Amino acid sequence: MMRRLTVISLNELCQLERIESHHIIEIVENGIVKPIANANSKDWEFDTSSVHWIKKAVRLHQDLEIDWLAVALLIDLIQQRDSLQREKEFFQQQLRRFTQH
Amino acid sequence: MEFKDYYKILGVSKNADVKDIKTAYRKLARKYHPDLNPAEGVGEKFKEIAEAYEVLKDAGRRAKFDEILEYGDQSSQGFQPPPGWQQDQHAYQGDPNPDAHFSDFFNSIFSGGFDQSHFHGQAQQHHSRGQDVETELAMSLQETLHQQIKTVHFKLPVSEGGKTHQIKKQLNIKIPQGVINGERIRLKGQGKPGYGGGEPGDLYLHIRINNHPLFDVQKHDLVLTLPLTPWEAALGTKVTVPTLDGKVTLTIAANTQSGTKLRVKGKGLKRKDKLGDLFVVINVIIPPVSNDKATQLWQELAKNSAFDPRVSWGEYL
Repeated sequence: MMRRLTVISLNELCQLERIESHHIIEIVENGIVKPIANANSKDWEFDTSSVHWIKKAVRLHQDLEIDWLAVALLIDLIQQRDSLQREKEFFQQQLRRFTQH
Repeated sequence: MEFKDYYKILGVSKNADVKDIKTAYRKLARKYHPDLNPAEGVGEKFKEIAEAYEVLKDAGRRAKFDEILEYGDQSSQGFQPPPGWQQDQHAYQGDPNPDAHFSDFFNSIFSGGFDQSHFHGQAQQHHSRGQDVETELAMSLQETLHQQIKTVHFKLPVSEGGKTHQIKKQLNIKIPQGVINGERIRLKGQGKPGYGGGEPGDLYLHIRINNHPLFDVQKHDLVLTLPLTPWEAALGTKVTVPTLDGKVTLTIAANTQSGTKLRVKGKGLKRKDKLGDLFVVINVIIPPVSNDKATQLWQELAKNSAFDPRVSWGEYL
């Protein structure tokens, strides 16, 4: 049976995902993700959902050649889009349930 | 191996300047970046675009590609470099591990991949960690109520002798109580094997909760649509409704409207620190078929009721 890991430290994230620590600091400072405990940056830990957004942020920063503020805005809009998409699907399903009789 | 015309991929002419190449790349990247466009297949398309940009934005690489373009055999039998043409082993710091980001065509020209620092900002190394792998795990709503042992089947891309093939793997995994749709679970070391003694990558399980025939999910809450007859809604009643793990009896007050939401505390999804609620939404249904007796009763009701649901329309009519 596998052990499930929910938390990754800043160091682990840099080593494992080959992300430079100053990039992660930019990502946190721009509000893209929040570390679990707000201690010194060297003690930061992230949950798996944050890791997903950190990796996405690094890819967007490098592939689109945009600065961290633009990455933060973009991710904000992606999250809003995803949330609206989920909401739309929920209401469409509710509407179907209301009108299927 | 398949020949790639990087100019065609970016849609630029052979004498395009760096600025044009950058503009073309950025335009295509906005359209095909897999993080911006969730459609299937865009990942491969973007990889091709990024590879074309890596070559054409760099004067050295571009010159080398131009040489191939002019003298190489691009026939349908597959690409052959020009006779006597050799890979330049010194032009770039070659990594013995051909970069998985790039095609065989790229790796063959640019001597076994190139310094990964272009992508990851880290010094080149002769052993590298395997890539992370993401896979989806479908679960039913009921399964989220308790801890589950699930068997996950997934394919792992493995490189051997410069070629990549996929092996099938399966793992038994403990899924905690209360996982939600879209949640990611990390399994250390279950991703792609490392190269040259490097550690394997991780496996990320992406949880997908299947639609339920009755219940819809909103964060930790469940929503159930409850159909009522007009007389149940008008007179009030008691109705037994299903929950995910049993049933509850609800009291419906007299004169309950369609769309009214009733909350059943603690009957939503369960998490370690939170317990969601069940919301029951009333939907009043008119019987689709009628008989003489029923019609007569409706007519009687119509005669005796002064109710006008369109009273607020007054000034528009």
